[in-house]
Amino acid sequence: MKNLYKPFKVKIIRIEDHSSDTKLFRLKKDKGSFLKNKQGLSFVPGQFVLIGFFGYGEAPFGPASSPYQTSYIDIVVRKVGTLTTALHQLKVGDRVFARGPYGNGFPVNFIFGKDIVMVTGGCGIPPIASLVEYIIKNRNKFGRTYLIYGAKTPADLLLKDRIEKWKKDIKVLLTVDQPDHRWLGSVGMVSNLIDHIEIDPLDAVSAMCGPGPMMDALEKILRPLGISDRRIFVNMERKMQCGIGKCQHCTVGDKYVCQDGPVFNFDQIDKSWD
Amino acid sequence: MPLVIEKKQIEDWLAELKQTHTLIDIRDSILPPKQYFFPPQEEIFVFDKKSQKLTSPAQQEELLLFGLSLKKLEAMTQLDEIMEKPQPDFFYWQRRIKSILIGLTDKSFEVAPGGDLILEKINEDQYQVLVLTKKGRKIAKSKFLKQVRNPKVKKYPSVLKPLKKMLLDPELLAEAVAWSRNHKIWDELAEKCLGCGICTYVCYLCHCFSIEDSVSLDNSKCSRCRYWDACTLPGFSKVAGGHNFHKSIKQRYYNWFYHKFVRAYQEYGKAQCVACGKCKKYCPARISIEEVLKEIVKDYKKDRKS
Repeated sequence: MKNLYKPFKVKIIRIEDHSSDTKLFRLKKDKGSFLKNKQGLSFVPGQFVLIGFFGYGEAPFGPASSPYQTSYIDIVVRKVGTLTTALHQLKVGDRVFARGPYGNGFPVNFIFGKDIVMVTGGCGIPPIASLVEYIIKNRNKFGRTYLIYGAKTPADLLLKDRIEKWKKDIKVLLTVDQPDHRWLGSVGMVSNLIDHIEIDPLDAVSAMCGPGPMMDALEKILRPLGISDRRIFVNMERKMQCGIGKCQHCTVGDKYVCQDGPVFNFDQIDKSWD
Repeated sequence: MPLVIEKKQIEDWLAELKQTHTLIDIRDSILPPKQYFFPPQEEIFVFDKKSQKLTSPAQQEELLLFGLSLKKLEAMTQLDEIMEKPQPDFFYWQRRIKSILIGLTDKSFEVAPGGDLILEKINEDQYQVLVLTKKGRKIAKSKFLKQVRNPKVKKYPSVLKPLKKMLLDPELLAEAVAWSRNHKIWDELAEKCLGCGICTYVCYLCHCFSIEDSVSLDNSKCSRCRYWDACTLPGFSKVAGGHNFHKSIKQRYYNWFYHKFVRAYQEYGKAQCVACGKCKKYCPARISIEEVLKEIVKDYKKDRKS
């Protein structure tokens, strides 16, 4: 019987500082490359991996790298707890453990060919980043594509180097709550950017990952645009332990975020009591 | 011909089994049989920092559990299903696959609820031995178990308790518990419940767990342990950074019921309860699942009519 709890070793091959408390870690498998799924992807954007460091436990991270990349995955780690603090002390060449990928991910077949509005805030960018990479790789197969990304200050915007590159292929709208003197972009809630979006509401989808208050902002921005609840996809966060639907930590009503999610449409979320 | 054991020879048979097996008599155990396959705390991985080697402690012991009641057998059959689907739990099966379960009941029954072998009382002096599996057949080879032509068979019917009766319609319970989310009973229970988690520890079927690492004093080894958790405990849904998805005891207590009667029904077509009554017996606040369900079902039916 296969031991689904057994993690595999990965080596840190690159570390980037992205804000005062956030780092990107590039992880390479010790043996071989990351396995491809039926779609030829090393994971579906929106799926998560459990990254563990012995002595400090495991936690879920949505990879930020391109799902077509099989030689490494990137995870973005904000220093908030025990494990993330330990990870921040590691150096290139150190090894950690990984399991997964787990969960459903964004419904890439469903969104194929449609207009897309991606909305994210703060450190919710990683799964959206991998979705952007997926879309750019298949750019001519998608309609108008927007990325709306908000953060507290310009310094808190992550993956800036990659965002600059994306601007060639998709429309990127950035906003911050507290601008500095050099900031030329928008200020305030992501919902203020609604006027900049031109989509066909009947053939558009939205993908989102962000903190709770972003959900309300999402409602304000996407419902007026006319995107139906079934076409709004949210990447949810919950406490994870097993990743395989046993331990009960991640349940939301009748769903397991680790198995049925982490991506749910807004209609499912609305109907759930939890 | 029925296989029969004399009541007074049961202890002798157990003594014989003890010579070849690790036998545990669980008749008086407060903690349910799940503890032998899903221990309250178990080391699942050891990571040696120096050699960078990751190992999993092997479980060699073949356990023979004696004295499971019909409800415990039923629960074990259900727990096996939970630990098998949708994906098998390695650490549970590592122990469970080698184990043998012997049931013992003073009540007559129609369908065996599980286990490898069951002793069923047929008269004041004798038990009929029902062999259910290959493993059961192996241990039935003993001089204390004899084939008897036409033994005296008396029926010892069990009375169907109200909770057990309710469990016969798991769909109604699922609907009623899902419907009851805004029922005042959850506010009342939130006042009563101490959030201690005992109900889940003594439950034959509750199987929440957490995984936690610890490091040896000399920092040479890390061990990853899995231990029983309880969804009613305050930190159950708390994530790093401090956000708690189930902040109130009311949310957590309702979620416990919701899992047992709604989520479980959706996943496996039955409630995760065998009406053993242990949660009430050991609850310091004496909360009774049966009374709660009765009230919810009554009000749900009333609401459905109107």
